[in-house]
Amino acid sequence: MTEIIVVTSGKGGVGKTTTSASIACGLASRGKKVAVIDFDIGLRNLDLIMGCERRVVYDFVNVINGECTLKQALIKDKRLETLFVLAASQTRDKDALTADGVERVLDELRAENFDYVLCDSPAGIEKGAHLAMYFADRAIVVVNPEVSSVRDSDRILGLLASKTKLAEGGNGRVQEHLLLTRYSPKRVASGEMMGVEDVKEILGLDVVGVVPESTDVLSASNAGTPVILNENSDVSRAYQDAVSRLLGETVPLRFVDEPKRGFFARLFGG
Amino acid sequence: MNRPAEVTKEPALEIRFGPVDIAQVRIRSTDPGIIVDELTGRVATAPKFFERTAVCLDLSELGREPDAAELRGVIEAVRRAGMLPVGLVNGTGATDALARAVDMPLLAQFRATAKIPPVVHAAPAEPEPDLGPLIHTQAVRSGQRLYARRRDLIVMAPVGAGAELMADGCAHVYNTLRGRVMAGARGDTNARVFCQEFYAELVSIAGVFRVFETIPPELAGKPVQAWLDGDALRFARLGE
Repeated sequence: MTEIIVVTSGKGGVGKTTTSASIACGLASRGKKVAVIDFDIGLRNLDLIMGCERRVVYDFVNVINGECTLKQALIKDKRLETLFVLAASQTRDKDALTADGVERVLDELRAENFDYVLCDSPAGIEKGAHLAMYFADRAIVVVNPEVSSVRDSDRILGLLASKTKLAEGGNGRVQEHLLLTRYSPKRVASGEMMGVEDVKEILGLDVVGVVPESTDVLSASNAGTPVILNENSDVSRAYQDAVSRLLGETVPLRFVDEPKRGFFARLFGG
Repeated sequence: MNRPAEVTKEPALEIRFGPVDIAQVRIRSTDPGIIVDELTGRVATAPKFFERTAVCLDLSELGREPDAAELRGVIEAVRRAGMLPVGLVNGTGATDALARAVDMPLLAQFRATAKIPPVVHAAPAEPEPDLGPLIHTQAVRSGQRLYARRRDLIVMAPVGAGAELMADGCAHVYNTLRGRVMAGARGDTNARVFCQEFYAELVSIAGVFRVFETIPPELAGKPVQAWLDGDALRFARLGE
């Protein structure tokens, strides 16, 4: 059974595309057949983060308009053989998306026996974001531990509970998960930043992962390699944990406490 | 004149459909004087709620179909009172003709009465059936609005900052309240607000409101009730 997962947030720049790319790779590296779709028509960047920007021939809008087949548009990842990317159009805008068109593409992915379809939502609550979440079975709401991001995520959670196909049908709901990104345990300890518990209290949801702030993310974008593939990075480990939890495993939260400094580090400072 | 080979035209307009909340004014008299008096009174009790609010006119309890001139008088009276009539409630075929005569749309009725009741004495209005409180058990998220029409509102889950609760009766939040709450929305000055963990942005009872830029420490995070004492909005810890 294909599961449609939307990665959304409301607020821009919190790590949706980074998360979509990493979670897609994480699932594919466990043998799942995964498609990741960029819903940010006109401002596409999933293809950059995935490193396939020079292999985009046909895009999501071409498929919706019937200008090509889905198979022609899906870009096979070079590193993981069960991972496929559907890029957004760069020249058009969100009005090119239609609910029917999106539904047809998702149905075709279901027919192709994909295990997971990740929908990388644009920021905001307008058409692109609305269509990205409309057909979802599950949602990963990416939140920074920061007031405006939390407020916007609250709004998005409200929309997930009311303006999705599952919600409108009246007999189901989109399963909601919070993913905390750009987390700095040191700043939380000093009281500058909201902690995991604060965010959980305001949004009323458990977290499916906490991803630490790290320079590795920028390096990964520049290299076109999703950060989860960088085995030396804590960010990668955090995303791996999140994928495990999405698959139903119980994994304790890491990277939420300040790293303990050894005796010599404390003695000699640094 | 040269034209470029391909001209892309931006459409001049877009048509969208969406649900809209609208009040119904059910009239029992077409006397403009009476209408202005009663409606002006209502608008004054909660001006922020009623002034310039869109309303549709329900003629089903008049006992007869008015003629177009009478209806124009009614519409004018409603405007003078401060509300804006934008349509007629869908009723009989005669209502359809009236709507055309005054050039207004017919809007779908909320309750299912499509026939004119038999002409009766001027009896006092029948009491509305008591529906009990509107109980809401899901989190109320930022940007969401709940309205308990003619009832109390009870919310059993957190109310986020940026959410709005409105009730014609009392409003109860048996959880954390971070958003706005408006009780006595139609002017019931006896309505109260109760909550378990008070962090509200704004509290209003029958139109009298207070904004909380900062929450007084004796109320913050505590179980609190709010009520109207004359013209003043009062707050106190519950149990005191």
